[in-house]
Parts: sequence; C-alpha cells; structure tokens
Amino acid sequence: MKMDNIIEIKNLVYEYTEEDETFVAVKNVNLDIKKGSFTVILGHNGSGKSTLAKLMNGLNKPSSGKVLVDGIDTADEEKELEVKRRVGLVFQNPDNQLIASVVEEDVAFGPENLGLEPKIIRQRVDDALKAVGMYEFRKSTPHRLSGGQKQRIAIAGIIAMEPECLVLDEPTAMLDPKGRAEIIETLKRLNSEKGITVVLITHFMEEAESADRVIVMNDGEIIDDGTPKEIFKKVEKLKQVGLDVPQTTELLYELQKNGFDISTDVISIEDTALKISAVLNSEE
Amino acid sequence: MLKDITFGQFYDSKSLLHKADPRIKIVLMVLLIVFIFIAGNMYSLAFAAVSVFSILLVSKVPFKLYLKNMKAILPVLIFTAIINMFYGEGEPIVSFWIFSLTLEGISRAIFMALRIALLIFISSALTYTTTPNDLTDAIEHLLSPLKYVGLKNAVHIMAMMMTIALRFIPTLIEEAEKVMNAQKARGADLESGGLIDRVKALIPILIPLLLSAVRRAYELAEAMECRCYNGGEGKTRMKQMTLSVCDLWISSGAVLISGGIIVLNILI
Amino acid sequence: MAILEVKGLSHTYGGNTPFINDAVKDVSFSIEKGEIIGIIGHTGSGKSTLVQHLNGLLKPTDGTVLLDNEDIWKNPREIRKVRSQVGLVFQYPEYQLFEETVFADIAFGPKNMGLEGDELKNRVIETCKMIGVKPEYLEKSPFDLSGGEKRRVAIAGVMAMRPKVIVFDEPTAGLDPKGRENVMQIIKSYREATDATVVIISHSMEDMALLADRVIVMNKGELVMFDTPEKVFSSGEKLLEIGLNVPIVTRVFYELKKLGVNVPQDVFTVERAVEVLCEIRGCKDA
Repeated sequence: MKMDNIIEIKNLVYEYTEEDETFVAVKNVNLDIKKGSFTVILGHNGSGKSTLAKLMNGLNKPSSGKVLVDGIDTADEEKELEVKRRVGLVFQNPDNQLIASVVEEDVAFGPENLGLEPKIIRQRVDDALKAVGMYEFRKSTPHRLSGGQKQRIAIAGIIAMEPECLVLDEPTAMLDPKGRAEIIETLKRLNSEKGITVVLITHFMEEAESADRVIVMNDGEIIDDGTPKEIFKKVEKLKQVGLDVPQTTELLYELQKNGFDISTDVISIEDTALKISAVLNSEE
Repeated sequence: MLKDITFGQFYDSKSLLHKADPRIKIVLMVLLIVFIFIAGNMYSLAFAAVSVFSILLVSKVPFKLYLKNMKAILPVLIFTAIINMFYGEGEPIVSFWIFSLTLEGISRAIFMALRIALLIFISSALTYTTTPNDLTDAIEHLLSPLKYVGLKNAVHIMAMMMTIALRFIPTLIEEAEKVMNAQKARGADLESGGLIDRVKALIPILIPLLLSAVRRAYELAEAMECRCYNGGEGKTRMKQMTLSVCDLWISSGAVLISGGIIVLNILI
Repeated sequence: MAILEVKGLSHTYGGNTPFINDAVKDVSFSIEKGEIIGIIGHTGSGKSTLVQHLNGLLKPTDGTVLLDNEDIWKNPREIRKVRSQVGLVFQYPEYQLFEETVFADIAFGPKNMGLEGDELKNRVIETCKMIGVKPEYLEKSPFDLSGGEKRRVAIAGVMAMRPKVIVFDEPTAGLDPKGRENVMQIIKSYREATDATVVIISHSMEDMALLADRVIVMNKGELVMFDTPEKVFSSGEKLLEIGLNVPIVTRVFYELKKLGVNVPQDVFTVERAVEVLCEIRGCKDA
C-alpha cells in the first residue's frame, strides 16, 4: 500500500444474484485513487459505476479481489465503521439521505454515531455547514429547501465525519442547472481548500471538465483512464459506449472533420474560442 | 396546503413555556393531569381550572388555537358526560325505562367533562410550545432509564422511528399530490362514483406511493449506514438539554398548583 | 390555426407557502397546431404551474385556456375529456406505474376514456409499435423493466390516449445521454405518427435549440419571451440576467466575437456553427 493512495482496488469483481440469475456488475477492476485528487467516473446507466461507488466504502463487499481504504480491507467486518468514516458516500436523491427534520440535527447524525463529545459535534456541524455554504439554513427544515440545497446538506452530513474521501454517486442527476452548479462548485472548493479527495460519478460531461482524472466505465470495466483532455479527444469511442462529449469538444471535432486544422484537446468555452480564432486568423 | 399540516401543532413564540426544557414540560404535564383527576371537590377543581387557564395565558399562544383542539374533541367530551350522567348510584330525579338521572350523576358528568377539557388544554399547551423534534428527544431522554431493564434498543428505535416519520411525512404528502395529479392526467376519476368505486380509484395512487416509500426506506437505510449508524450503539447527542431558570419557574408553578389542589381537597 | 390559446392566465396558491413560490401572473400566448414549443425557466418560475393549467389539472384564478377555440372550463364536468386531449407527462413518470402488467398500465388512460375490448387492445398495441415498446414486454410487470424502459412505458400510457397536444415536464430528467436520446426519439415518433402539438419543459438549452420551433421563457411567474430559438438565444444577456444559460456553442460564438472575429450571435447548434465557420474560412480561402 502506497501512502499517497486513499483507495486501492485490486482485481475487483462484484456479482449479484437476482431470480436465480447471476450478474457481474464489476469485472476485474484495478484502480488507485490518490489522496487529494479529483476524479470523475463516467459511464451510462448500468455500466457498474454505482456498484463501484458502494464497493469503495464497504457498503457492497467484493465477490473477489480487494478494496483497501487507507490500507484497511473493506471486507473486514470489524473495521466497518473505520472504513465508512474515511470514505463518505453521497447518493443521487437528496431527499432519501436526510434523516432529521432540522438541518443542523441532520448534519449531526454522523458525528453522533461516532460517539463524539457534544461540543466537538457542534463545532463540526457548524464547520461542515459553513463549508457547503448552508450555515444560515441550520435551523430550517429540509423539505422547504431546493434540491441543490438539500444535496449540499447531505454533503455536509458526510464531511462532518471528517472523511478523507468523498464519493458521490450522480449527485446532480436530479437537480436543475443552478443546483448542479452549486454542487460542482462546492466539491471543487472542498477539494482545493480542505484537501478532501473527491470521486464524482456522473453522466454530465461538463462536470468532468476540471477534474484531475477521468475514468470511463462500460459494462463493469474501466475502458479508459486519463486527463479530461485526453479522454474527450476520443469522441467516437465515448459515443460508442452511450456517452456524450461536451458541446465544445463536439464543435472542434466536427470542425476537424470538415477539414479544419484544429485539435480537440480543449474543453472550456474560452479556450475553444481562442483555438477557433487562431485557426481562422492563421489562414488569412 | 396539505404539506403544512405536519408542523401544525407547534406555534412559534417566545414565552416562558417555549424556553423551558421539554423534559420538564412533559413531567409537569403528567403531574398536573394526575392532580386534576385528584381534585375531588368543586373548589379544588375550580382552582385547577383557573390554574390551567393561567398556563394557557403564559404560553402566549392565541386562545382560538386551544379552542380549535377542543372542538375536535368535543364529541368525545359530550359522550363521556352523557355516560357518566346515567351511570352509577344515586337518588333518581327523573327515570325512564332502565335509565335514571341522578343529582350525583349530573355532578359526576360535569366533573368528568371539566377534567377532560383541562387535560386537553394542558396537553395542547405542551404541543403548541414544543417542536415535534424536541418532543421526540425529550421522550427518548425520559425513557432512557428503561435501558437498565434491557429495553435500551426499544427506546432508541422508537425515537429513531419518530424522527424519520417527522422527516418523511411532508415528503410523502407531496409525493401523494404528485401521483394523484399524474393519474388524473391519465383520466383517473377520483371524485365521482359510490364508495366502492372511490376505494378502487385509490389503487393507482396507493400502489405507486407504497412502492416509493419502500424505495425511499431502502435508500435511507443505505445512507444511514454510510453515516456510521449501527443501531445507536455508543451514540452521543449534539444537543444537550440543560435546565435553566425558566424550568425553575414553571416547576415552582406546577408545585404550587398541585399543593393548592391538595389543600383545597383536604380543607373543604 | 391556434390549437391552444392561453389568455391572461393567473394562478395564485391559497395559503402561505413561503418556499414554493410557483405562481403565474397574467400569461398569454397561443400555440399553432403541430408546433413544438419549448418552455424554459428556472425552478419556481411558474412553468410547472403553467402547464398544469393546459389540461385542466389546475383551474386558473384568472384568465382562460382555449383548446380548439373553446374554453376548457366551459363545462367543468367535462374536464376529464380535456385531459385526454391534452396529455401531460410529469417529471419522472415511471413513478406513476401501478398495474400488474405493462399492457394494463398503458391501457389505464384509454380505459378511463371509455375504450374497451378490441379497440382498447389495438390502441395499446398500436402505441407500443409507434414508440418502440417491445411486444414481449406487454405481459411483464412494469416493475421488472430497466429505468429507461419504465419511462418509455409510462410515456406510452399518456400517448395511448392519443392526445392532440402532449406536454412533457422535463422528460429527460435523471437519464444518461443514451436515455435522453431515446426519450427525444419517442417524442419525435409520436409526432410523426399523429401530427400532435408538443410542449416541452426542459433545462437543457441544447435540446431546446435542436427541437423547438418556438421557446417560451418564464421568470417569476411571468412570460418574458416567446419567440424562435434564434431570437431567444441571440438575446443571451437577457437570459443570463434571469439566471438562465444559453447553449454552449452560442457562448463560444459570444467569445469569438469578443476576440474580434466577426461571427453572427444567433448560432445555437453545433451543426449551424460548423456551417458558419466553414463559410467564413471558405471566404477567406477564396
């Protein structure tokens, strides 16, 4: 185990049985997640990415192979809580992960389960709510908040346990664009300011733009792994596995097909515009 | 709207009763209810009534809210009074068939009705001045001695269930509205027909709602596990309930009331 | 000819609902037969309230809704008829499934309209063919299908009533790119088969740009714009002001202009963008 990896996955296989039929959701995955990194996992529904998320904190146990969190085997029943405290999982539907009807009491749920001192819990709850920008709503009731706000509370509930790694399973799928932007911005800040490792599972390609690393899953396997620029260059490959590319990449790709001498290795709107104008000017 | 009913009982205000510790409030409520039933003559009962009305005044909750609760319970109140009126011993004033109205019966009926009315008022004073969450917490605290008789988990599970119910009732009500609209948009007729038709018409709403509740329960269980929940073992609480000067005040008040009732019971 | 006309529609919710401020204020527009109308606006802008008036789920506090020039509330007893003529597919429609079989679930709507026997059966089968529900699914339980297929069946349940106007509230919410494409295809298929008028609420400006003939922009319960996508997306600043976005390609073109490249500002699909840029380069080559 290298010290700089928070999660190490070795030859991981996960099978499940439904009505006497056995399905393989994750097939021989090998993956290390570096401490402090921001990783995005892309894949269509049913690609095994959600199952992989649940394997990362021991909610699912490997059928074979190993998942190590900070060197702890997630299959070790004794260390169940140790693993869950280190790797926090946030789900798609914010409504179904909030337990209490007062925001601050909900955020306190994790630390309370850890048996911390009341004073320390108070401190952590306040810090966590401030970190996600929801401190002023601490006395509100969740069902009066917007989807994006509820999801930020869910994130606060996890980071109040002070995990090293945050795994999010399509946290923005049910949100409107505003809520989506709130979540992505929150995650970036937690990653850069608090040094929390982030593993974001999504099928919104734009959300992968600023990641350190993008992993593409298909049919239970990792089929690609690289920087966003490296990944999105492969437009055809992504489309083949039911994914999309950001519209900027698509534009550059189409231009390339139409004989423009242009590469597709930028993603942001500004860079794309720069690139196009450079090509247009150079041919004057 | 439908979704607002669940927080209905709590009335936000800044009275002595609002500030008091919910545990103390529950204990004192039980104490006062016991003494209201102990009050044996009309003087002590009248004293109890005056005391309860002063508590309502102190709560700073509009009186019409108390009346609203009373209205809901009125049929029960009348029923109890009538039963008491014709039941039991005494010198009959009028009698017909097997019923006989006695003076004792009338006074029993008045006593009983008044006691129940006071009971309703005083428990309303508790629910209007305490949030459902605080109530849940307080009940958990108060029942915690049960852990010494091996019921630790039962208390914790009950409190957890109440917490989750409070959290999800509004969500499920909202969802019921959505499903209802979706089926109406498919031409479902929820408004007409006889009783059986109407019950049948509920199936397209109840099934999706039930399935959704199951799905939510499943997801919530996973989310709780991810937050290191393991059945309340070694759990601490962020919110510590501490007694304050308010609690001293209301406790003294309650003791005075109870004392007064006893004194009037004995002396007169 | 206008198929659906909304005149001076207002709706205020009774009681105090501090958070959900989804009222509608004095909205008027008319939709021509066969058009695809997009509605954009952020959460709470009143768009969901607005569409629930189109099929009479909500009754306007003020104003009227005309379907084929007739007030839908002229005879309140007949409002259920309106609901079969103006179909409404809610967000996450798969959660409305309840029957034992896919067939029975799709048949629920037409049955409520009074169809029975062979007519009912043919209607269901025809609908399935139209939008690609596999025949072998018909006897399965809808709850055994995958998420995307469940949604297809749920949409079929509304389409089986053969509405002449069909309204979708965020039909692609929560789906992956493939699933989103499938839903768009379902909508297209229905339209080709029935010439229906389509109204879609969506957050995806890119989808709006591709699909809609005209776009309604809602903000704080008011209709602030109703025009072709070209016109709407070329007034990008106004959209950004009310917290909405414009398609990503359009933003690339704004940037290009800032960089001094003389490009039009009403480009909103990748296809059109490539055309425009090729033209510019072509001109330069010549």
